[in-house]
Amino acid sequence: MQTLYFKIAIRYLLKNKLYSFINILGLAIGVASFILIMVYVNYERSYDTFEGSEDVYRVYMDYKEGDMYVPGDAQTYNLTGPTIKKKFPEVLEQVRLYKFDKVVFTYNDQIFKEKDGSVADPSYFDVFGYPLLEGDKSSVLQEPNTIVLTQKLALKLFENENPIGKTIHAFAGGNKTILRVTGIMDNIPQTTHMKTNFLISYATINTWGVFRKLHRELNWNQNEFFTYLKIDKNVDIKALKAKIMTADFDDNFDERHNIESLEDIHLHSDKPYEAEVNGSAIRVKFLTAIAFVILILSWLNYINLSITKSLERAKEVGIRKVAGAQKRQLVIQSVIESLILNLIGILLALLLSTFVVSMYSRFIGSELVLDVKILQQVLPVITMVILGTVLASLYPAFLLSSYSPSKALKGKIKASANGLHIRKGLIITQFAATIVLIIGTMVITRQINHLQNQPLETSLNNIVAFSGELLTKKDSVLSTKFERMKDEIKKLPYVTHAMTTQTFPGDDYINLSSSIGITYPDGTKNDHSIQYGYEVNNPKYFEMMGMKFIAGGTFLPNTRGKNKQIVINEKMAEMMPFSNPAEAIGQTIKFWDENWNITGIVNNYHHFGLKKPEVPIIIRYSRVDNYILVKFDPTVASASEYTQAITQIENLWKQIFPQSTFEYTFIDKKFDAQYNDDRQFNTAFRGFTILAIFIAVLGLFGLTSYTCVQRKKEIGIRKVNGASIFKILKLLNIDFIKWVGIAFIIAIPIAWYTMNSWLENFALKTNLSWWIFVLAGIVALGITLLTVSWQSFMAANGNPVDVLRDE
Amino acid sequence: MLLQLKNISKWVHSGGQKVFLLKDINFWVNEGDFISIMGPSGSGKSTLLNIIGMLDDFNEGEYTFLEEKVHSLKEKHRANLYKQYIGFVFQAYHLIDELTVKENLEMPLLYKKHSASERKSLVADMLDRFNIVGKKDLFPSQLSGGQQQLVGVARALIASPKLILADEPTGNLNSKQGEEIMEIFTQLNKDGVTIIQVTHSEKNMAYGSRVINLLDGKIE
Repeated sequence: MQTLYFKIAIRYLLKNKLYSFINILGLAIGVASFILIMVYVNYERSYDTFEGSEDVYRVYMDYKEGDMYVPGDAQTYNLTGPTIKKKFPEVLEQVRLYKFDKVVFTYNDQIFKEKDGSVADPSYFDVFGYPLLEGDKSSVLQEPNTIVLTQKLALKLFENENPIGKTIHAFAGGNKTILRVTGIMDNIPQTTHMKTNFLISYATINTWGVFRKLHRELNWNQNEFFTYLKIDKNVDIKALKAKIMTADFDDNFDERHNIESLEDIHLHSDKPYEAEVNGSAIRVKFLTAIAFVILILSWLNYINLSITKSLERAKEVGIRKVAGAQKRQLVIQSVIESLILNLIGILLALLLSTFVVSMYSRFIGSELVLDVKILQQVLPVITMVILGTVLASLYPAFLLSSYSPSKALKGKIKASANGLHIRKGLIITQFAATIVLIIGTMVITRQINHLQNQPLETSLNNIVAFSGELLTKKDSVLSTKFERMKDEIKKLPYVTHAMTTQTFPGDDYINLSSSIGITYPDGTKNDHSIQYGYEVNNPKYFEMMGMKFIAGGTFLPNTRGKNKQIVINEKMAEMMPFSNPAEAIGQTIKFWDENWNITGIVNNYHHFGLKKPEVPIIIRYSRVDNYILVKFDPTVASASEYTQAITQIENLWKQIFPQSTFEYTFIDKKFDAQYNDDRQFNTAFRGFTILAIFIAVLGLFGLTSYTCVQRKKEIGIRKVNGASIFKILKLLNIDFIKWVGIAFIIAIPIAWYTMNSWLENFALKTNLSWWIFVLAGIVALGITLLTVSWQSFMAANGNPVDVLRDE
Repeated sequence: MLLQLKNISKWVHSGGQKVFLLKDINFWVNEGDFISIMGPSGSGKSTLLNIIGMLDDFNEGEYTFLEEKVHSLKEKHRANLYKQYIGFVFQAYHLIDELTVKENLEMPLLYKKHSASERKSLVADMLDRFNIVGKKDLFPSQLSGGQQQLVGVARALIASPKLILADEPTGNLNSKQGEEIMEIFTQLNKDGVTIIQVTHSEKNMAYGSRVINLLDGKIE
């Protein structure tokens, strides 16, 4: 009996190719989109999970702004960890990490530049559950000048030699040290906010020249350490958090310590001085929502098409009933057919998503994989989906099996009023969801354009930042070398400026200093806001960067070091107790126990990119050699000339600094790269919106063809009685237009609310203009009319005799 | 007596008024009868046949089939009853398009829980009896109308019913094919199967032993 069910189902699917195709395609696209999004969402959610990760917390700093504490710094003091551990017995272990911007290792004359690594307390492996492959967990990071490598890095450095006991040289900031390899750890997955390829023992801080007094002495002044705590499972975290927040370790009420779950960092933390740019919970939420919307759309589609098609099978049901089939048997048969259809759809979806993920991994080089493990994690949801679809198939099944055989055999089955309502509801839901997605796509695109078209108040074009890790000690000779380097670069054609700076707009947080507690010229102290600052060593910096002075001017040339000069931005000036910002010129402010003389005020510019608000900034005039910024003549446009100029600079660099690494960045590109995540999100959103529209169109197509079949006779009679094709098109389209209208009304508040909450993430936001909504409505209507008209035109254009002859 | 209808009436409401499809129908059928129901379009022939076949309900009256009171049976019992004793033949054949001839014949047996070997031999018998062995793997659309109706009759007979209900069985056939089908009915009747047919044709009527004339839902 079952084999017969299968047989008839397969034959039926083959016979109705268009119907099967639409149905399977809709399902496959829906399920594949769902799996793909879920794989990504799962990846984002899997950050910082290992055995015991739920008991690990990170300490961070809250700073007081006005009357409120706001998250101010992801990094803490070197006293933070040990103090908290001593004070709170709930804290089982703590580990401090000092994350390097980059370290250069040399071994056997080979140079390896490594980005991701830290100095770490010996307790590292007690807090982070990453396995140590070689070496003893409790002793590998005990002694000074020892290092633990990941297997990957060890292989890179030593190839097939045994790394344990080998010594390598390490350079940071031009300071050299010797390190002995004491352990090999398993490769740490990319799904962590703290990417790690090597760990250097904490005791090395005392022996390596790159660290200064403020690192070595335990203090509450310099917060450059990430602190992680392992907390007893049975502890009430809320109570502990409150205790830590109210504890006053350093006699400073302008700041406090706070803790957050390690697992939450990647998606929920966006503090200054993070170890890397984190993900975004709202993006993940949005994508999850889209995943479910698409899935539900394809599901509704399926129900809709099944009901539509089931009406055509009324005759068969009638025959079966007359031949003695029971209702139960008919339902089973119908469900088996759904199962086959769904199975094909899901298999296709699996193939499709595996293919897409592997292509994605190959081209983007991401770690995203679709393996059995991930499928297992997504499995409950998929099972739910399948179950849902089976449930969905029950409706048409019962509808079908409840037909009275005598009517069914005569083809007198018309959609019951009830069934029609349900189908209408499905179509309206589909269209409401589609309109919401269309509005979402438009708002996201608009927002990204809005960001890109903001006046930056600084010009980043044609500027390249050169940097390299010098494997020689910083001294006066080096300084002279830098001067020579700059002079040589200036001699090159196309170059208009060349100077050294600490950082540039759009650069990472790590090259920026921050301070709190500035004393203003009138002696008042501002304890309530954070200023950011950096150093430049050339008064022409502002000219090069296209920053405009609203008062005062740049530093006096050739006075570097004589008196401490600063240029501040407008935001900073506004905080000072002057009625007119210009009054600040020539005044002195005090921070870091030094007096600083204000020579000028520049327009606010976006140092962190446009997602973040403008912040108070202090630019100091000082010796610095982190980057060499080179501005090329804007008339140089051709790529080959750029490449040529950069190659010349590289040669120069290698000539002057034979022992060093070399790299460069176009700073406008780096600035732009800040929106990469948003742009990718936009692309994904748009892609899935198109898929959702496609699925909705499939559903509409199915329903239209049904309507046309049902009203065939009516159309024929109307035509015989003189109705024009246009009149008939109008007749067939009017219902759909009405439904889109209802969907539109439902969609608007939902779209408005969700997009508004998305825009909340941006400091500068585009407005939700009314025309976006109207345009989305028009697009949806246009799509509807196109889909419906195509088929209704065929119906309207047919010869009425063909239709009426049947009777 | 195979079945008896007593004061059967069926009506629908239209514009607040009862419109009678059948009114006060009384008749009985003995085993071995060959009855023709005749009448103009809309006189209620098919409705009456459907009521006899238990495919349709009626509003009033009593229907007894083999001593069972059909009007007071639950749907499931009723279905069991007609499954066991009644075979249907339709004007439009009503074969399942997705099944082959063999599978179409087998279908009613599946619903009656016959074993596989039983099904096989019964289907083989039928194919043999109606000379359609060569067509067993064809689909209905590959057959002529007469052949399709042959399959339709074979399907109605396969579970050895006591009663065959035929609703204009030759309506879609040409006269030669029609005659063939009627010959088969005659032969079946001789073998003891009770037949009730609805027909327009005087010629077909002649094959039967008794005629019931319907006009406006009433027996004349």
